[in-house]
Amino acid sequence: MKEVSLFIPCTVDLFAPRIGEAVVNLLRRVGANPIYHEEQTCCGQPAMNAGYREEAKKVAKHFITVFEKDPVIVSPAGSCVCMVKDHYPEILEDEPDWFRRAKDLAPRVYEFSQYLVDVLKVEDVGASFEGKVTYHESCHILRGLGVSEQPKKLIRAVKGAQLIPLDNADSCCGFGGEFANDFPDISESMVKDKVESFLTSGADLLVLNEPGCFLNIGGYLNRNHPGKRIMHLASFLATNGREAEYGN
Amino acid sequence: MAQSVRDEILAKLRAAPSVGVPTRPTLPPYKTLSMNQEQLIAEFIARLAEEAVAVHRVKDFPEVLDRLTVIASEEGLKKVMTSADDVISRLDLAGWGKKNDIQVMTPRDFPDRNSYRDAVFDQAQAGITGADFAVAESATIGLIHNKDQSRLVSLAPILHIAIVPVDRIIPVYEKAIEKAFAKKGEYPSQFVFITGPSMTGDIQGVLFKGMHGPRKVIVILVG
Amino acid sequence: MEIKTEQFTELARKELKNERTRFFLKVIPAVMKARRDAGMANLPDPSAAMACGAAIRAEALARLPELLEEFEKNATANGMKVFWARDDKEANEFIKKLAKEKGVRYVTKGKSMVTEETALNELLEEHGIEVWETDLGEFIAQQLHRPPFHIVGPAINVPVEEVRDLFIQKIGLKEPTLDPIQLGYAARLFLRDKFHHVQMGVTGVNVAVAETGTIINVENEGNIRFTKASPPVQVSVMSLEKVVASMEDALHMIRLVCRNCTGQRISVYVSMDSGPKKKDEIDGPEELYIVIVDNGRSKIYQDAKARDALRCIRCGACLVSCPVWRQVGGYAYGWAYSGPMGQVLNPMILGLERTQELYRASTLCGSCKSICPVGIDHPSLFLYYRAKDVLGDPNFKSVNRPWMERKFFKMFSWAAATPWAWNMGVRMARPIMNKDAQNGVVSKAKGPFQGWFRSRNIPAMAGDTFHDRWKNNLKDKG
Repeated sequence: MKEVSLFIPCTVDLFAPRIGEAVVNLLRRVGANPIYHEEQTCCGQPAMNAGYREEAKKVAKHFITVFEKDPVIVSPAGSCVCMVKDHYPEILEDEPDWFRRAKDLAPRVYEFSQYLVDVLKVEDVGASFEGKVTYHESCHILRGLGVSEQPKKLIRAVKGAQLIPLDNADSCCGFGGEFANDFPDISESMVKDKVESFLTSGADLLVLNEPGCFLNIGGYLNRNHPGKRIMHLASFLATNGREAEYGN
Repeated sequence: MAQSVRDEILAKLRAAPSVGVPTRPTLPPYKTLSMNQEQLIAEFIARLAEEAVAVHRVKDFPEVLDRLTVIASEEGLKKVMTSADDVISRLDLAGWGKKNDIQVMTPRDFPDRNSYRDAVFDQAQAGITGADFAVAESATIGLIHNKDQSRLVSLAPILHIAIVPVDRIIPVYEKAIEKAFAKKGEYPSQFVFITGPSMTGDIQGVLFKGMHGPRKVIVILVG
Repeated sequence: MEIKTEQFTELARKELKNERTRFFLKVIPAVMKARRDAGMANLPDPSAAMACGAAIRAEALARLPELLEEFEKNATANGMKVFWARDDKEANEFIKKLAKEKGVRYVTKGKSMVTEETALNELLEEHGIEVWETDLGEFIAQQLHRPPFHIVGPAINVPVEEVRDLFIQKIGLKEPTLDPIQLGYAARLFLRDKFHHVQMGVTGVNVAVAETGTIINVENEGNIRFTKASPPVQVSVMSLEKVVASMEDALHMIRLVCRNCTGQRISVYVSMDSGPKKKDEIDGPEELYIVIVDNGRSKIYQDAKARDALRCIRCGACLVSCPVWRQVGGYAYGWAYSGPMGQVLNPMILGLERTQELYRASTLCGSCKSICPVGIDHPSLFLYYRAKDVLGDPNFKSVNRPWMERKFFKMFSWAAATPWAWNMGVRMARPIMNKDAQNGVVSKAKGPFQGWFRSRNIPAMAGDTFHDRWKNNLKDKG
C-alpha cells in the first residue's frame, strides 16, 4: 500500500480539523496509507509573508527535518505546498546543505487533488451529491502550481453533481494571510465580490481546496449569508457534501 | 560637467554584479510571412476594414485621379495639401486640382516653416500622400519623412488620403525597417507607422476617432 | 505631483466609498483585460512572445552601460544632443534652462511617466513657462491637479459631468454637452491651437534603440507626432532603462506593449526619430535633445533582484489584472505609478519607509506575474522588499519594524520549530480566542485581529485539533 505522509497546515489543524479527517478518509478509500508526523506544526508562511526570513528559515528547517525521509507528502493547502517547494530553497540558498535538502524535498510535495488525479490516477472516489456545485480557483493552486483541471475532474466524477461555472472564478478572494487583517477594507471588498459571484451562480454549494480561502469566504458567508454553503474539496468528496456547518 | 555626470552614471552601472538572463525562445513566424502577393493584398484590405479605413481599389494611376474626384466631391474638398513623394509625383495633382477647382498645395509652395504650418493647420481639408510601405500584418502605412514627405501633411488635416501601390504591401514591419534603416548614417530623420485614424477612449472609456490626428483615413489601393 | 505613498490605506478607503470609482471599476478593467487577452491571442505563440519579451528586456539590462554608450554614440552621430541627468532636479533644470534660452512661453507635452516622476511640469510653471499636456487623459488630469488613475487612461474614471465643467472653466467650452465625443472635439480644437504655434515640445520615450541611435514613441491620438513635427525644438526624456539593442528587438517590444496596453496589434502611430530634421525638410525639429534620466535607477540596477523591476515597459496590463487595483483604482497608490508596477517601482525610487503599505497591499495572488509580458515576478519582489524592510536595510531606505511585531515573529518561529511549545501555545491561545464563541463560531476576539472580524467570523479554535484527532482516533483506524 502506498504510504503517504500528511502535511496538515496549521489553519486546518486548529480551525478546520474536519478537512484533515476528510483527507485521511479519502486516501484510505483509494487504497493509500496515510501517516502523520505529530511533530509537524506550520510551514512558516506567516513569517515569510511578513518579511521575517530568518524566522521562516527556522521553521523551514524544522519542517525539512520532519518530512525529508518521506517519499510522498500530500497537503490540502496549495499555498503551503508553494511555500515548501518554491520558497524553502530560496530562503535557504545561503546554506548549501539545507539548500540541497530543500531542493531534494520539493518534488515530493503534492497538493491533494494533484496527488489523487495525477499520481494515483483517480478521479472517481465513489462520492455522490445531488445538486449544483461551483468551484473557486485559489491563487496558489491555479497560478502557483498550475492545478485547475484536477479538482474539476474530481467534482465532475461525483455522481449526481453538476459543476457550473463561477464568474471570475480565478479572481483572488482577498485572504492573502496577513492581508485580510491588515487591509480589511480592501479584503472585505474582494470577498464581497467573490461571494456575489457565488450567490448569482445558481450553485447550491461552493467548493474550493485552499483552507485560507475557505476560512475567508466561509467567514464572510457565515456572518452575512448564514444559509449559504461552502466546503473544502476533501470534505465535499468525503462526506458527499453533507459535512456539518462552518464552526467547530 | 555634463561629461562627468555621464561617466558617474555609467560607472555605477558597470560596478553592478552580472546577472543571468533567461533564454530567448524561438518564435513561430507571423502568418503573413507565408502569404503570396494576392493573399497579402487581401489581408491588408481585411485589416484596413477593422481599422475603419475606407479602401478604394483602382487598377492604375489614371484611375486614381478619377477616384480622387469622387472622394473630393463626397468630402466637399476645396483645399488640399499633398506630399511630393515618389507615388504622388506619378500623378499630375496640380492639373487635377485645376480641372476640379480644388486648390492643391504642397509644402514647397511656402517660403518658410511658419507659413507652411499655418496652411497645413488652417487651410488644408485633406492631406494626400503616397506610402513607402504598407504592412499587411496590421494594415499599417509606413512613411519615411524627408524633403518630399513632410510630417504635418499626414497629421494636421482632418482627412488623410493615402495612395498605396499594391507592390508596397509587405508582410511584416521588419521588412520596412530593414529597407528604411539599411544604411548607417542615412537613417530617416523620422519614420512613422500609421494604422487608421487618430483615436482615444480617455473620457469614460468611450472610444472615438479624430482626437488630434486625422479623423478619417482613406486608402486608394493601386494595381 | 504631491507624493502620497504613505497614505495608501486612507486613500484606498476613500476610493472604496466613491460611487463613481466603484461604478467605473466594475466595468472597465474587465473590458480592458479582455481586450488585452484577445490582442495577445492573435500572435502565433503568445507565451513564447512573452518569454521573448522577458529575454529581450533582461538582455538589454544585462548590457545596459554598453547599450547606453552605443545609443549615445549613434544618436550623437545622427545629430541629436544627449544630456545625462543624475536626478529629477538635473533633468528639470536642463529643460528649464533650454526653454528659457529659446525664449518659449509654453511647451506641449506628450505623455511621459518619467517627467511625472521628476515633476517637470511644476518646475517649468514655477519659472513662468506654461505646460500643456496634450494626451486627452493627461490634459484632463493636469487641469484637475490629479495623479493618473491608470497609465493608459489617466482620467478615464472622471465622470463626464466633471469633464464638462472643467472644460467650461478652462477651455471656454461653449456648448455644455455631456457627450464624451463632443467634449473630445472641444479639447482637440483647444490643443490644436497650442500645436500650431508651439516652439518647443517635450516627449517621453517608449523604446530607445542602441544600434541605430533611434527613439520610438507609441500613441493613438497624434499629440506626440504633433509635438515632434511642429516646433523647432524637441526634447525627449528617457529613463535610462528604456534602451534595447536592435530595431528587431524594438519591433517585438512594440507588438507586445500595444497588445498588452489596449489589445491593439499596433498603436495608431509609431514614430521613430533618428535625428533632427534634415536641412531641406520643412517641418520637424531643428534641434533634438535626448535627456537620459537616472533618478535612482543605477542604484536599483546594482541590486541583482530589484533590477528586474527595470524591465517594465509601462504597458499597464498588471493594473487591470490586479484584484487590489480593481478594487481601489490608481489614486490610492499616491504617485505617478500605480498597481503592481508602482508597487515594485515606487519603493525602489522613494525608499521602503515611504512606501511601506504599497508592497504589503498584496495577497500575492500572482495575476500580475502571469500577465506581465516581460516576466517581472512582482510577488517575489514584494516579499523581497518586505524582507529588506524587516532588516532595516539603509540601502533601501528602510527603518526597523515595530518591536511587538518583531517579538511576535521570533516567538512564532521558535514555537513552530519546537513542537511541545507549539502545542502549549495552542492550548493557551484557545480560551482567549474562543472567549466569545457562539455555536462553534467566533465573531469577535481581543487582540490584533480586529481587521478580520469587521466583516467575517472564524470557526472557534477546535477543542480537539487534527493532532488530537489523529492521536486519539484516526491513527488506529487505518
